[in-house]
Amino acid sequence: MTSAERGGTAAGGPSELAQLAARSGLKKVGSRPGLPEYVRTLWARRHFLWVLSTSRSYSRNQNNYLGQLWSVLSPLTLAAVYYLVFGLLLDTRAGTTNYPGFLTIGVFIFMAIAASMTAGSTAVTSNITMVRALDFPRAVLPLSVALSEMLTLLPAIGVMIVIVLLTGEPITVTWLLLPVALVLILLFSAGCAMIAARVVVAARDLRNLIPVAIRLLRYVSGVFFSIEAYAGRFEWGFVLEYQPVAVYLTLMRSVLLQDVAVDPTMWLTGLAWAVVLFLVGFAVFWSAEEKYGRD
Amino acid sequence: MAATDDAFEEIDFEDDDDLDDGAPERAKQDADAERTPSVVVDDVHVRYRVFGGRKRVSGPEMGRIRAMFNRSRRHVGAVTEVHAVRGVSFVAHHGESIGIIGRNGAGKSTLLRAIAGLMPTSSGAVYVAGTSSLLGVNAALVSSLTGERNVMIGGLALGLTPAQVRERFDDIVEFAGIGDFIDLPMKAYSSGMAARLRFAISTAAVPDVLMIDEALATGDAEFRERSAKKIEEIRGHAGTVFLVSHSMRSIERMCDRAIWIEQGQVVADGPAREITAEYRKATKKG
Repeated sequence: MTSAERGGTAAGGPSELAQLAARSGLKKVGSRPGLPEYVRTLWARRHFLWVLSTSRSYSRNQNNYLGQLWSVLSPLTLAAVYYLVFGLLLDTRAGTTNYPGFLTIGVFIFMAIAASMTAGSTAVTSNITMVRALDFPRAVLPLSVALSEMLTLLPAIGVMIVIVLLTGEPITVTWLLLPVALVLILLFSAGCAMIAARVVVAARDLRNLIPVAIRLLRYVSGVFFSIEAYAGRFEWGFVLEYQPVAVYLTLMRSVLLQDVAVDPTMWLTGLAWAVVLFLVGFAVFWSAEEKYGRD
Repeated sequence: MAATDDAFEEIDFEDDDDLDDGAPERAKQDADAERTPSVVVDDVHVRYRVFGGRKRVSGPEMGRIRAMFNRSRRHVGAVTEVHAVRGVSFVAHHGESIGIIGRNGAGKSTLLRAIAGLMPTSSGAVYVAGTSSLLGVNAALVSSLTGERNVMIGGLALGLTPAQVRERFDDIVEFAGIGDFIDLPMKAYSSGMAARLRFAISTAAVPDVLMIDEALATGDAEFRERSAKKIEEIRGHAGTVFLVSHSMRSIERMCDRAIWIEQGQVVADGPAREITAEYRKATKKG
């Protein structure tokens, strides 16, 4: 175009420049890598992903006196508040035998999943300076959101186990399934984070709908009531029971609580949701890899 | 997290005491590498959208209704597309260091980011030999964490392995010269100290094509001297260096070629001293 005097050797049309680049063996910048190549570069950056995730969940509680102690204190106070409201004031205990345990598991797991979705939706847009300054597979951003929420959840899991034990649950073989359930939840929230991040980049107004969606999920997922007891009487109650968030809450409860049976169908549903959402989320996020950083 | 990013963008540093230039040496380097291009920029356009504001559109012939509509558009649907780079083409060679000059908002930083592959081009293409990177890890660092932790984060962000970062850790701390402060959170640093640490981390990894966006405008005189040496050293390895700066002195000192950009287009491209002279004349700047 109007590029006036060109120094150097090459002056000429665009195609000539492209030919020159090809002759000299230069690589085109900013083109989207193929899926296998993308996975490979992502794997090469796994340490970055890990450090980013750990520092995020660590820096959250570092700016006050009690510091990392808050990672245990916050979920504890939260559990107390929820028990006060739903256990004592509104009494939604129907259909549960160990309501404090039931509620704690519901609240903690739901908070982690919801936080992944919320933070995941702005994973790219709120880190735009980083996207514009450094070269790395952008999937690191939503993945690190899900991972750091999972790391934040771990101390809460400790609190959860203490509460469950205090309410008289015995330690059983099913407790061995705890890590499996956590991995499924991690995969699921990572998938959600990637999809949300991609959607918000394409249409950022949708970011304002995420809290609405999360509120809806909170009320239909059986966080503080038993879906079976309340929605079981409707014909479409199974829709509520088998939607992913409700499935993961049930899985966690079946691991730790004696009166919730370990149901293979539920586990398979949980596995299916996790794998499908993670793979779809990854593909969806990757498909726009070269476009992140424009706005 | 990256609020400090812009603080250094427009700072000019004028007091360069020694203006000794290694021009003959560089000319020789160029002659050796003249035939092999390292960066080819082919008719690149960059457009990006800005949310939250619109340019005012007003004209004498505009009716009241339309004016009202336009006013409301500043609050709803306030999106402006900025066409920052409009058809830039040039070829850079191994061993060249190229200064990019122009007024504020001419599209220099955007062009640099497009070359680094960090901002997508809307048309045209950029071809690069080997790895390219933009000097600046500010964005990845977490101010509430210790300097030590941030060295690791920044190093990994640049693509180093944890082992490589540990290996270079002492050098980085040494170079930054911040001593015990490495154990304190970065928000406790003075802006100069933080800038030194950032610079030290940024230069820990040496790419084939290095891009610098006014990163030298930080720290005290002694540190500027050290960073200039470091840049020179990197240039020895890196092959090609791009430097965006408002300081004509540093362009003349560090670069052998300059590209003058105005409103997203190349105005002039040639030997650094000629172009900066032209630019000085055009902007009536000492």
